[in-house]
Amino acid sequence: MENVIELKNVTKKFKDFSVKNIDLQVQQGFVTGFIGANGAGKSTTIKMMMNLLKPDSGEIKLFGLDYKNHEKAIKERIGFVYDGNVFFEGMNLKDIKRIVAPAYKHWDDTLFYQYVEQFELPLNKAMKTFSKGMQMKASLAIALSHHAELIIMDEPTAGLDPIFRRELLALLQELMIEGNRTIFFSTHITTDLDRIADYISFMQSGELVFNQSIHDVAENYALVKGGLDLLDRDTEKAFVHVHRASTGFEALTDNIKAVQNTFGDSVVIERASLDDIMYYFKGGIHHV
Amino acid sequence: MFNLIRRDVILQKRQLLIFIPFILFFIIMGAPPALIFLVASIFIPFNTYAYDEKVETNILLNSLPYTRMEIIASRYLGAIVYMILSIGVTSLALFAFNKPFTITDIAIGSGLFLLFAAFTFPLFHIFKPGYITTVVLISFILLTWIAPPIASFIAEHFTTITDFIVNLSIPALYTGATLVIIVGYVISWGITTVIYQRKAF
Amino acid sequence: MQIIISNSSKEPIYEQITNQVKSLILAGELQEGTALPSMRNLAKDLQISVITTKRAYEELEKAGFIYSIVGKGSFVAEQNLEVMREKKLKVIEEQLSAVITNSREIGLSLDELQQLMKILYEE
Repeated sequence: MENVIELKNVTKKFKDFSVKNIDLQVQQGFVTGFIGANGAGKSTTIKMMMNLLKPDSGEIKLFGLDYKNHEKAIKERIGFVYDGNVFFEGMNLKDIKRIVAPAYKHWDDTLFYQYVEQFELPLNKAMKTFSKGMQMKASLAIALSHHAELIIMDEPTAGLDPIFRRELLALLQELMIEGNRTIFFSTHITTDLDRIADYISFMQSGELVFNQSIHDVAENYALVKGGLDLLDRDTEKAFVHVHRASTGFEALTDNIKAVQNTFGDSVVIERASLDDIMYYFKGGIHHV
Repeated sequence: MFNLIRRDVILQKRQLLIFIPFILFFIIMGAPPALIFLVASIFIPFNTYAYDEKVETNILLNSLPYTRMEIIASRYLGAIVYMILSIGVTSLALFAFNKPFTITDIAIGSGLFLLFAAFTFPLFHIFKPGYITTVVLISFILLTWIAPPIASFIAEHFTTITDFIVNLSIPALYTGATLVIIVGYVISWGITTVIYQRKAF
Repeated sequence: MQIIISNSSKEPIYEQITNQVKSLILAGELQEGTALPSMRNLAKDLQISVITTKRAYEELEKAGFIYSIVGKGSFVAEQNLEVMREKKLKVIEEQLSAVITNSREIGLSLDELQQLMKILYEE
């Protein structure tokens, strides 16, 4: 299967923060959800994918091409949506379109106006008068109007109401009917992902914890609940992190078999949600 | 690339409405034609920079299928294109008001503009957004304030240089000045490109 | 093709799909050769991810309920012996649960039921 995005051992250091040794492959034809707490390095990684930021070391390829020699060809095939409004605030959508459209070889005006109608966007009002949701819709209309094969979005659903979030997800699903399209988006609203994500990439403190299909995530991680007396140095090894309370413990495991072997029926094993996984990883105790 | 240059007009539709009265004001005030040409030329490129100092604008431009080299090239070429257009419009306005001007006025005005642009464009990418307007203003004032004393200092103390310049024939002087300006502009272009290539957004 | 997904079920979504498609096939509602919706269309209609429908179809294919032709889609397979057996088993299961329900109503214990069954089976 073809990888649309490929990061090999990518590292970027800042004064007080760094993104380390990221190895990430994003598969064509699927939706990959990019999760992690605020400040985990998601935006930095996305910026490197867009060549807004150059990695200190490592290799970044999109569609199998590198930015050094194929920047235009790569960006021609990407539709982008960022968290904040990047369009000139004082301008209306029509003028923004007049600036953006000629940049793309495959710009489709009919398609653009179709989205404008579908999203009920005003063409002659200044961007700054738009609500957060409308700005997002406008960005999306622009991102989708040049037949992009890869859609990269940084927190597209942040600050949107639940109704529009649902509409957006439905729209993305419609886009996915064309099998060659790929969507990569970061979010910390994990319920969005339960519906449409095929793969989950999880970042934590500048490192990629995993990049797995939702089935693998469901099969590899589980919540375990039981009495405190079951815990000791040995049995705890099967857990990513343990949360103790007077009523018992709750823990995340990445080794369900081991837990079943050790504890048998004395514990309850449940499906772990993405929120659970993020929460327990944040708790520390990293082990391989 | 042409799109990037054309973008400035779309971006500044409203400011362009001020452009004509702005020039007319200078003409009516009886400012020297060379100064009017200079001010008119500065108008569009520097208004563009007011937009381009914003991080968002750079994120947008760099996410579109443009290379960084093209983005900077469009600035430098755009400045020349808009300078020529502004000079055309200003000339028409001067004609309309029956104010005399010479080719020399245009040459001085555009020459000064190109030097000023060559000097300030790299600064836009060195300083943080928000400070740029201040930096440009101060450098403009400094230049106008410092230049005359320096010029007279040079004239007094380095007589060989002044003699050399004074003794140059008019065509040689013009060619020399043109060369200096072109070289300065191209160097500035190169420096800005290098700075911009390394920027992170 | 009617499929109902429960998000609160313990059963994974892909399994819910395979089971429901199997039932539809076993019940004869999906006839041999019928085209199934494409993976991507089904994902969109069910508002679930493509990889989930992909997995469901893969499992169905493995179990011989459907077959896929590249570029054309997936179709209900000819029902082989194993499928038939499963079909029968399903019927038996249903009938047995009816028996159990009836037994419970009159207070027949499992042992008594098993004995009854044994007698009948060996007859």
